[in-house]
Amino acid sequence: MLDCANPVLERIALHQTRLHTPGLGLDSKGVALGAKGLVLLPSIDRLVALLAVYTRERSLEDLMPSLAMRVVKSKLGTREITLEFAAESSDRMDRLAETARLVGGFTFTGTARHFVQYRDAGGPFGYDATELLATDAALALYHDRFSQTYDVERAIELRPLVLRLMPHVDPSTKLEPGMRIIVAEQGLGPALVHYFVRSRVDGEVGVAEWPPESAFDDAPVRRWIFRIPELPDRMRALMHGTPGITSFVPAGPGVAVEAGHRHPVELRACPIFDPAGLVLVRGRGEEPWTLPRLPPMGAVTAFARVEMRTTGAETSTATGTAQPEVVRVPLRVSPSTGPWKNVSATWIEPAQVPLLRRLAYALPHTTIVQARVAMTTRGAFVRSSAGIEAIPLGTFYVEVHPNVYVPAGYDVTPAVAPEVLARALGAPASQVLFLGTDARALAVDEAAFAPLETALLEAPPWEPLVAEAIERALEEATLDLKVTPIGLLPLRGVDPPSKVEA
Amino acid sequence: MAVDLGAVAQELFEGVMVPLVLGGPVRPGHAIGARVALVLGDGERTGLDPDVELDVQGARLRRARRLAPIDTLAKATPAEWTLAAAFHDLLQAANPTFDAALRRSAAVRILALARDAIERVPEPANVLEALSRHTWFARVLDVARTDTTVSWWSGSRTYLGVEAPRRLRAWPELRRVNVVATPHPVLELAPLAVDRTRLTDALARLLTRTPLTEMATCTRDAPPFVWGEATLGLIATRSGRTLALRALARLPSGEVDAVLGRATRELLATRRASGAPAVTLLAERALAKAEGHVARSEVATSRPEAAFARGLGAVAAVLLLEAPGAGWAEDDRRRLLAALDPAARSTAAQEATAMLGEGA
Repeated sequence: MLDCANPVLERIALHQTRLHTPGLGLDSKGVALGAKGLVLLPSIDRLVALLAVYTRERSLEDLMPSLAMRVVKSKLGTREITLEFAAESSDRMDRLAETARLVGGFTFTGTARHFVQYRDAGGPFGYDATELLATDAALALYHDRFSQTYDVERAIELRPLVLRLMPHVDPSTKLEPGMRIIVAEQGLGPALVHYFVRSRVDGEVGVAEWPPESAFDDAPVRRWIFRIPELPDRMRALMHGTPGITSFVPAGPGVAVEAGHRHPVELRACPIFDPAGLVLVRGRGEEPWTLPRLPPMGAVTAFARVEMRTTGAETSTATGTAQPEVVRVPLRVSPSTGPWKNVSATWIEPAQVPLLRRLAYALPHTTIVQARVAMTTRGAFVRSSAGIEAIPLGTFYVEVHPNVYVPAGYDVTPAVAPEVLARALGAPASQVLFLGTDARALAVDEAAFAPLETALLEAPPWEPLVAEAIERALEEATLDLKVTPIGLLPLRGVDPPSKVEA
Repeated sequence: MAVDLGAVAQELFEGVMVPLVLGGPVRPGHAIGARVALVLGDGERTGLDPDVELDVQGARLRRARRLAPIDTLAKATPAEWTLAAAFHDLLQAANPTFDAALRRSAAVRILALARDAIERVPEPANVLEALSRHTWFARVLDVARTDTTVSWWSGSRTYLGVEAPRRLRAWPELRRVNVVATPHPVLELAPLAVDRTRLTDALARLLTRTPLTEMATCTRDAPPFVWGEATLGLIATRSGRTLALRALARLPSGEVDAVLGRATRELLATRRASGAPAVTLLAERALAKAEGHVARSEVATSRPEAAFARGLGAVAAVLLLEAPGAGWAEDDRRRLLAALDPAARSTAAQEATAMLGEGA
């Protein structure tokens, strides 16, 4: 590739405005940028490496409309690969340039035919070619190490390239959780359906046809395709090891790779597969299975074996109905020896409310922020979802069910579930129920609870200072003249008007 | 050596033009010279910070809307770039560093070239251009250098336009440090390497190129306000006179009367033929006062220049009211004549009438 030392490429300086290379301009950061970017790669495996590295972190979706890969030939006959795309911004170019540098490629920018080296550490604002090569070739590349012209030999399409790449062996993909697409040969399909139904594995199944594999086959090849959202671990060995059953791991919309293999390029980042179809990439160098349209899929259970009952009457009809016998006992609240858990409310009787006021000055900020209080004729009810222990007043309560509180250290008997207790008390959701030790319930409206911090503080009166704020926003800063150095030659460049202007 | 116009423009914009509009520290850079100043505005200036440009345009619009309800203003015109560069050089000529042997001539040359550049800028061609220039240069007379004198138990030192070092201000109580910061307007700066009258003259010429600013700052101490061709040209138009009246309404009424009275008396004495726009302005000002649109200032009434301006304005206003086809309702006309009558009969008014009569 090294053609000749290039004396014509020069670094672009800060605030430089004039460039020689046609189609080269400066973006808002001052970086030289053409309409297109171009990466020059020595071989096809470097191109794959570039795609592999780039797609590992980013999608090709924004590059696809303008992406063009070509095999180009220099005057010396060497063949190299170019990857061309719309430059759009220096951010995109920087990403691609870094990736290209990693895989041994060179990055250029230009618009039509002439492409100059993209910026690097040596030239942070890029490069400009002060003298252009006189050529009819399709590409003229200017680098600080070489200048070379190229003719296009042929184009490389991304989809055929990706589909011809052989996946690497990677046993770890067999253990990856998530959906599996399982393809079974025609004879194994029904047995696999019943196996899934028996094992209560949810999924969908369909049958797809491929053309005969050889002229000696007179019928199309049919295979059963299963889509299993969660394949139980115990079945994985069977699905991976049974001849005639191939398991695939989805690698993106419309594409899956055989389990035990990993495609060199992150297929999820390549928007070249139709989501309505399916491409199944197989390992061992076998060609991919392609479905332009997915076949109709039905639930696996719909294909379960059907058996008819042959004995007994058709139905057995009841002869009468009756209400169940009522068994109700009164609710009791009895002391418990169990540990206190979820103590999140307290009932402070009226006599203790002044104490709460004095205590407010000592309460930590988090407690005041989280607590809510309702003042009633029966005293103050304070609730805090984070725990009420910081307020050592009143009778502590445990929340056994949303908006249902039982005294701490007590249990309700009979020992029914909290949901049953809440349903039996029958209070609407807007009421908060506090059960007393005498099993009588007090209901406080949820709306009566206000944040403790707003209920506590008696704020002093205040006066608005809006006018001052507006005045401050519109006031004009003083013009403070700073004395700056005049330099050694204060008259350098200080000239009288030219005669034309005079 | 070729001058990088982009770099000069950016330094001028950030160091002088932005602070002139937004306020803050004004940092003149290397002197620009008349040749560069006159070509600085050619073509589109790129590379300026777009956010700052947006702030500047917003502040200019706020300034313009004090006088006229407009919604857009163009960016700096070539004439405005030249005036800004000349003002930049004017500030640099006042740099105290020049006040040393072998350096004073440089400051004198910089000031002379700044004046040359100003002379080559044409007066505004229309009212919008005058308003646009005013939005850039309305605060040229507000530029002041803060000189800081630091005294301590064993000595003192003065810093001109720069911050005093932190070490001199350390331990203020122990060392009995006293810091006095005094702002000095441009025309009161000392020491100066150039003749102060030349500096004042250059600033006065700059103001003649932005007549709305000249009117809006007419109560300044120096350079004194005089009626020039540009200001007379501005107020000779209906819209220009309206903007001028609005600008004057923001100043103390008595001081404005005194300044306009002195300047108009000089104008009528030396160039009576050019005085019509000034007399019309005074007449409309008198009418506005009679309508209650301009605050009255009784304190300044005793000053003869102010009395002259009011008397002349009242006489001219009476002539306007009594002119056939003036378009006033009869009731309004009588009410205004009654309000103007005391001023129109004053001694100053008689003097003004005599001066106008001489002209007729």
